[in-house]
Amino acid sequence: MILLQSLIHELYFVMAAVVAALLLTRLFRRKTRPGLAYDIVYAYTVIPFILRALHIK
Amino acid sequence: MSGRGLVVRRLVLLAASLVLMIAGTRDIRALRAYRETVVVSDAFTRQAPLSTYFDGIRGTLMDVPVYVFDSGVPGGSALILGGAHPYEPASPVMAYVVMENIAVKQGRVFVIARANMSASLQGMLGNAYPPFFRVKTPWGGKTYRIGDRETSPLEQWPDPFTFVHYPSKQNLAYQDSRNLNRTFPGRPDGSLTERTSFAITELIRREKIDLTIDVHEASMGYPVVSTYVCHQRAEEMCMMAAMMLSAEQFPMKTETSPKTLRGLTHREIGDFTDSFAVLMETPEPFIDKFVGPMTEALMLTGKDEFMQTAANRGLLYADYNMKTGSTLDYRVGRHLGGAAEIIKQMGEFYPAKKLVVSWPTYADVMTQGVGAFLHDPAKAARGRVFTN
Repeated sequence: MILLQSLIHELYFVMAAVVAALLLTRLFRRKTRPGLAYDIVYAYTVIPFILRALHIK
Repeated sequence: MSGRGLVVRRLVLLAASLVLMIAGTRDIRALRAYRETVVVSDAFTRQAPLSTYFDGIRGTLMDVPVYVFDSGVPGGSALILGGAHPYEPASPVMAYVVMENIAVKQGRVFVIARANMSASLQGMLGNAYPPFFRVKTPWGGKTYRIGDRETSPLEQWPDPFTFVHYPSKQNLAYQDSRNLNRTFPGRPDGSLTERTSFAITELIRREKIDLTIDVHEASMGYPVVSTYVCHQRAEEMCMMAAMMLSAEQFPMKTETSPKTLRGLTHREIGDFTDSFAVLMETPEPFIDKFVGPMTEALMLTGKDEFMQTAANRGLLYADYNMKTGSTLDYRVGRHLGGAAEIIKQMGEFYPAKKLVVSWPTYADVMTQGVGAFLHDPAKAARGRVFTN
């Protein structure tokens, strides 16, 4: 039970890292919505996922 | 824009976001890294990790130190549980004042100053709390953390849709799965918070703790402010202690732990161990929802004009005067006096459980301030200084 909880808990950090990587990739490589506003959104929304992946917040 | 220009623009935006992230989390990182210092008194006997009593929390942030002050003379025993809710800062400060000044002539005293270490290392989401507060001392000052109410999601996540308390199966709010004072008596294969509760329950069982004092603070719009909340087995001694305090020191109420309110120390420790379970609350404007800016000054002085308005309209459950406020000295003094009185009453009601201890009194703290009873780690013997 404790092992399963730990696995699920760690999975959330992994998911945060995957989402952060996805956002970073899309910041630089995307075919649609190339405008400045979307660049800002991608650059800004990556912050909480990096914070969680790094165990900061 | 050209391909190269686009890449440069996006790199600049990413760099700006990272700078914002680093700057914006400075307090968060500082709070998580900071450790408090305590200089234990001459009565200190030993320190042991909480995992001594239950291995299931070993290596986690919840494996907090337990400090033991043993007179070597047979008598009663007490556990002072500080910091179950770190956003109630008079609780750990009271535990530290006890640890730095206690003398024990008979019996044993166990102290946990930071029962939920994880919660003490994160700020409260959305409330704009300051991360630290500083207590002035004759030699400078000591800095303490102001934490959250619940275990950090960095240590326990995800929350269940509804928290089902073990073993009562009572449904509680989802965030209470991370609330140390809703997870007692705990379970060995539960969440980290439940395992921590279980470890504390095991400490109480194995060390045969006669009296458990769980130290809290309450908002003034909450009925149990300035109150002992006691398991029914401790009811009589709580009533006597409250009467003595109200007559001689400060207003104190008493209330018997509701049998249907599960997971709290005053209910579960009383039901699942032989210990008398008592919880103490002080009036703490800092955690009320209708006060002004939640600043360090408000936490230290308890002076707030909106609180005064609420008092004028009869909305509070304790007396309040903005001129005097509800200072940290007052709140810590109350806890010191409240704990001393309930220990005294236990000895009166049950002579075999007599515990003879002393630490600064309510009057001492009110006249000299808490800082007068906190010692300089730089001038203390090395074996006497610990960090939490």
